[in-house]
This record gives sequence, structure tokens and C-alpha cells, in this order.
Amino acid sequence: MKIKVELFGASREFSKNNLIEFEIKNNSTIKNIRDEMINYLDLKFDGNKDFKKIVETSVFCTENNNIVSDNYKITKNQKIAIIPPIGGG
Amino acid sequence: MLHAKIINIKEKRISLSEAEKFISSSDYGASIYFTGTVRNQNNNKSVIGITYDSHDALVIKSFEEIYKETEKKLNILNKAVFIEHAKGYLNLGEISIIIAVACKHRDEAYILSRYIIEEIKKRSPIWKKEHYVDNQSDWLKGNPIVNEKN
Repeated sequence: MKIKVELFGASREFSKNNLIEFEIKNNSTIKNIRDEMINYLDLKFDGNKDFKKIVETSVFCTENNNIVSDNYKITKNQKIAIIPPIGGG
Repeated sequence: MLHAKIINIKEKRISLSEAEKFISSSDYGASIYFTGTVRNQNNNKSVIGITYDSHDALVIKSFEEIYKETEKKLNILNKAVFIEHAKGYLNLGEISIIIAVACKHRDEAYILSRYIIEEIKKRSPIWKKEHYVDNQSDWLKGNPIVNEKN
């Protein structure tokens, strides 16, 4: 399956495209996406600790705008948003 | 009655007069306007501007949820609430957020206004990138969002 992770906030620094694509196995979970992102940061940014911490402290949001937990199963190609720690106002 | 919107500042600016029009009614005897503006200092750094980023759909959803729950949690039934948050680059002193509320009485207006801004800080996916006088910039660390729906 192809998953596009849409980047927000500090995670926008991970790619100029504001989006990272991953090829994942069927029935993968959000936890697998998180692991893929950590691997991506190891490769592209030499394991930048600040970037990895952003992924570790983020939540993820489905196309239907629901925040989902790490064991949520991804059943189709879709766009997932990474939601880093927030602070508006 | 709720107005909730993200304003792309490339298209328009947030304006108090629109908030005033929306909440104005003889049903209400108390109105409060809260604005957040860009400050020139943070963590001992001289700030020249802030870029705001947002997940628009989730932010609007959070505004609607916060508005709805004020009925049960605060028991404030009759109210007008206007919330707008900016997205994009703002200079010093520019408005990043307006929360305008109108209620029958002042007690509930103060409570409502404070409740809404505190919940937005905790729950609405909005991010700030500060820009400094030395041409550096940094995303603020923020607080992890609470995952309530597993």
C-alpha cells in the first residue's frame, strides 16, 4: 500500500514537498508508519534527534479527520497527517 | 451560534468589526473580545514575526467541539461565539486569534471566553514558527495533543 504522510508544523522541515510517501505492507498500523518515519529520518537527516523526537511525540490523523492511536490499522491507500505537539493562539 | 474560521492572511486580515457584527444582539448583555497578537519577545529572543501553520479541518472540528461542550460543561446555553485564527506570516502586533463571545450576563461571558482559549491551546492543531532579528527561525516546541479517540 502507498501511504502519503502530510507534514504540519515542525515536521514540515522533513521534506520540501510537505509530504512523504511510504510503501507499507497490508494491515500495517500507525506504529509502522511512525517506525518508517524514524527510518526515513535516520537515512535523510543522519538520525537528527530533534526530528526523531517530533515523530515520537506526534499523533496521526486519518483522511476523515480522526486522530487515531498507534494500533489503528490502515486498510487502503490514503493520506495520513502527522500532528506534532501544538501551540496556537 | 458559532462562527469558526481559519483566515489565510494572504487573502484577508482578521478584523474585530466582523466579530462585533456577528455577536451583536439585544439578547445579550455582556460581550468580551479576546485577541492574541504577535509579541516582540519570547524566551529572551527578539521576535520580528510569526508564521502560523494549521490543520484547517481538524482545527475547525476542535472549535466546534469546544463550542458544543460549553453547553454541558459550563451550562451556558444562550451565547454567540466568533472564533477566527490566522494562518501564514504575521508581523509584530498583528492579530493571530479573535475569540468574541456574547452572553446574557458577564459572569458567563468571562468564563466562556477563558474556557475557549484554554481549550484551543490544548486541542487545536496550530503551530508557530518564530522569526528572529538575526534572521533565524524556530518552530515552537508546543504540547503533545491528547489522543482521546482510539
